[in-house]
Formats: sequence, C-alpha cells, structure tokens
Amino acid sequence: MVTTIEIGRLLRAGTTGFVVGCRVSQIDAPSFGALVRVPLEAGYQIYGLIYDIHIDDDGLVRQLVTAEGIDEAVIADNRVNRNVPIEMSVLAVGYQQDGQVFHLLPPRPALSLDAIYLCDDEELRNFTSAGRFGYFRHILRANDLPIGDLLAAHLNQVQARQVKAGNEDWAVEATQELIVLLRDDYATLMSVISTLADAVPEAWNRVRS
Amino acid sequence: MSLDFQSIREQVKQLGENAISRAQQLQDKRTQALELLKNNSQNVAGLRQKVETVVRNHDLSLRCALPVIEQLTASFPLPVLPDEMTVLAADGSQITPDRHAEVNFAVINVGAIQLRQGSSDPPDTTITSQLLYDEQLYSTTGTITDAKLALMRDLNERTILAKLAKKAPPPVVTFTDGPMELWIGVAGGSQDIAENAEVLEAYMHSLSKLDGLGAITAGYVDKPSANLVVRTLEVAMTQQTELSEIKNLHPLRWVTDIALYRDIIESGERSPVFALQSRSAKSYKGPLALHFFYLNVGQPGRPYLARVDIPAWVAENPESLDILHAALIDQCRVMGVRPYPYLLHRAHETAVVKLQEKEQVTLMIAQELRERGLTLGELSSKQSAKQAGGRARYEW
Repeated sequence: MVTTIEIGRLLRAGTTGFVVGCRVSQIDAPSFGALVRVPLEAGYQIYGLIYDIHIDDDGLVRQLVTAEGIDEAVIADNRVNRNVPIEMSVLAVGYQQDGQVFHLLPPRPALSLDAIYLCDDEELRNFTSAGRFGYFRHILRANDLPIGDLLAAHLNQVQARQVKAGNEDWAVEATQELIVLLRDDYATLMSVISTLADAVPEAWNRVRS
Repeated sequence: MSLDFQSIREQVKQLGENAISRAQQLQDKRTQALELLKNNSQNVAGLRQKVETVVRNHDLSLRCALPVIEQLTASFPLPVLPDEMTVLAADGSQITPDRHAEVNFAVINVGAIQLRQGSSDPPDTTITSQLLYDEQLYSTTGTITDAKLALMRDLNERTILAKLAKKAPPPVVTFTDGPMELWIGVAGGSQDIAENAEVLEAYMHSLSKLDGLGAITAGYVDKPSANLVVRTLEVAMTQQTELSEIKNLHPLRWVTDIALYRDIIESGERSPVFALQSRSAKSYKGPLALHFFYLNVGQPGRPYLARVDIPAWVAENPESLDILHAALIDQCRVMGVRPYPYLLHRAHETAVVKLQEKEQVTLMIAQELRERGLTLGELSSKQSAKQAGGRARYEW
C-alpha cells in the first residue's frame, strides 16, 4: 500500500538542495537521513536526503524558559499557534523523469510552497536500487555536512526496507561502493567506516570478511 | 552621524551632576509620602471627603485616587487560582494614513486570545482587521487623527472581548493593555470632540455588555508612572487655607505610586482598591465607574508593580477581585523573570501589523484600483527621496 505523508512545504531551493518548513504537528514523521520527494509537473519529481532539522528560538521562548514550570497550554500555544519556524535542510540527490530515476542533480529546482513528501518503502527501494549508488557522490561532495552520520542514518533506514524485499546484499554493496569512492580520501573513509560499523554492523562484518 | 556628540556629552555630564542631588530629594520626598500614607491609612472616609470637597470647591480637574473602603497601607495576599476559568486578552495595532503614499488608507487590527484555564489545549486566537478608506479617513474638521484611530482601536478591543466572552464558559476574565479610561479631549474642534464622544459611548456600551455577562474586566498598565495616590496625599497634607491653590501645589512631585507601594505589597499581593478621581472618569457611571489597584507581579526580593484598572462591578465584588488578582499573577508568572501577562503578549503578537504587511495591503489596494482602470496617487517627492536610501560604500 502506498502511503503519502506530507512533511512540509518548500521555503527556498537551489539546484543542490532545498529547505522545507513544517508545522510542529508534522515533525514526527521525518528524520535525519530520510529520503524525501517533491512531485512537480507530470512525471517529474526531485529526491533529497534530510541532513538537518532545525528549530529556531525567539525572544518569547527564551523568556518562557526562565519561568518555573510551563503550563501545558502555553507549550501547546507556542507549538501550535505561534509561528515557530521548524526548518529541514535537504540535499538534492536525484530526480525522476517519466518513471526513470537519475542520480544526478535535478534540472530545475522546486518552487516556493511545493509540498514535500516522505518516500514510502517502495519509493525508497526504487530510488536506492536504481543505477550503481550514483547519489553517494552528492553526499560525499558535501564537505560541510556530517557525511559519516548522514550515510549511517540513510543506510540503516534503507537496509531494513531492502532486506524486507529480499535484497539481503544491498547494504554490503553500498558499503563496498563507499570504500571505492573514498579510497583516495583516507580521513573521510575512516570517519565513514566507523559510523557504518555502528549503523549496519552485519554488512560491515561481511565486507571485512 | 547626525548628532552633535560633543554638545550631548556636555549635557550628559550636567545630567550626571544633577542626578545625585535629585536622587536625594526624591528619597526624602518618598520618605515623606510614606509617612503620610501610614498616618492617613485608616482615615479613609475623611480623606475621601477632603478630596471630594477639593474637587467641588477648588479643582474640578483634580486627578487622584479616591480611597474606597480598604486602608491605604493594606496589602492583600494572593488568592487561590480557580481550577477552571476562561481568560481572554485583546490588543490592537493600527496602520495610520500616510498622505505621502500612493494610496491612502488606515487599518485597525485587533488580536484576541482565549485560554481555558485547567485545560492543556492551546488557546484560540482571533484577528479582526478593519480597513478605513475614502470618507472614513476624514473627520468633520479634517483628516482622521492618530488619537481617533487609537480610540477606535480601544473600542474594537472591548467589542471583540464582549463578543468572545458571550460564548465562553464562566467565570470569564478579560483584559487589555493600558488604562481603561479613554482620552477623548483631543485637539480639534467641538465636532471632533463630539465624534470622539460617540466612540466613548460605544465603548461604554461594550463595557456594559461585559458587565451584563458578568465578565471580570480589567486594563493592565505595565510600569505605570502615575502619582494618583501621591496626589491624594498632597491633598491630605495641604492646609484648609491653602486648598484653593491646590492646582499649583505639588510638594511630592516626582514620587510615583509604585515607588510608594514597592515596599508595602509583597510579591503576589495587591494594594487597596481606589476609585479614580478625574474629570473624564465622571463619564463612567454606576457599575462602569473606574477603580484601580497596584499589583506586585515581581518575584520575592524583586518587586515589580503594575496598575490594574477595573470597573466598579469588579471592584465591588470580592470574589471577582480575587479571581482577577489570581489570574493576573498566574499569567505574569508564565513569563518568568520579566513578568507581564502572557496572553496580553500573545494578543499583541497576534495583532501587531508589520511593515511588510502594510506594504502588502498597499499593493492589494493599488492592484484593485489598477484593474478597474483607475490612476493611483503619486508617491510624494519627500517619501521617494527617503526610500532612495543612503549613500552606499563602494566595494570591489
């Protein structure tokens, strides 16, 4: 069954990524490393990975934390009624055109207020199985992001879905591909390996053996 | 840099030199005022009578506090907060007409917020926006004044509160920011004053509705600078033979009421309730008659006093007074170290019109007029020059 979970709407975008704004009530669904999509015109949609979830403060919130005990209604007011900005930063990792998935930067970005959806299991498998992990390139290029943790979170989420669909080797192949891609960057490789060992230990042990 | 800082520097030095002696004078006067307050604390009826005599015989416009029943130095502890009640706050803001702009209009925006005490549900917010244009921007003698807009805003605040209070489960506490007394004696001709009197009448009508609903109503004055009680003490200390000169006698000038009560009412306590004696307060009759008390909303050891204006129907009902007292302290404590009623702040946040929103309304009006083939007014040269911005730094 295809589930459609809208996680927010687009605030600003560029070719390499975009920022999504959402209500507090929507914050339960998305998580760090999750794959999201922005459906645009017929047959075209952009894929991205959430690499940061950001909650801003403001003067009132700073003042409220100085009070002894905050009433539930006041907390609810600040979360539901006030314009507390929750922003999710997304790294563009590919797009789909007429049913075909490309692990390339999207030809044109999404527009303001476009709805962003969490990819369901099938979409996640389709995107991550297409080609040969070409989208890792976009992640590894983003030097200012916590690459190791982002990959770990992503692999952890995808592996469970791939195994469920009978693809036991996906995480092993993904790990091997990362080692190949990072063979000339020892520092990053070590950082990524240490996080993968925590996130997908079985795959890592198989790669080592 | 447009200030002459050298000149300002000289004046600041002068200010500093005067400050020491002024602080000493102020302290002396405050001590004197405190003595008078204590000495007259139980003379409620006598003091009241003296003030009424002064108003009747010497100064119709005397503005001061009229003791009611409670002793002047009495303080009242924080009552228990009811388990359930409705708390309603409203605040307003306005866009004033701008003759320099391409299109001329005004907006009165009022935000209200309603909280059900005892529930964890978020409060409900309501916004009412009123666009004023064409004839509405003019009074009998000229263009609408800022004071008139402020009056209309105050009226809209009370109107929305009355509307919401009607549907809210009791007990209902409503408050707005600022005094409950409206100022209608603005500059302008008698026609303007008559028009303002119409607004005042509508305001009274809204207050009467709140009274009819049994809603506990108040105006919250943050950091008040009034000397209403101090002025009463000035009357008290003036000899009978000098009372005819009371208008010019201000022996306790600079001492404020909050300086007087700062050390008398502890954290969470309120002062005695006074009636407001002023020329305009006479318009508020019967259950609408204006009263006030001071409330220490600060923390122990850090007094912070606010003035709370209330109508007679609240002042004369001890249960209503207690509910209001407890509700305001509870609201102020939500804000932590800078006490102020949380819901009033939220009502302000809801109502405030930002520059960007003003520009958006301007664009909406301009678009509407253009679509109907009408020509817009011209931006004034003065405004155009202002919008051109300052000199930019050349960067390479």
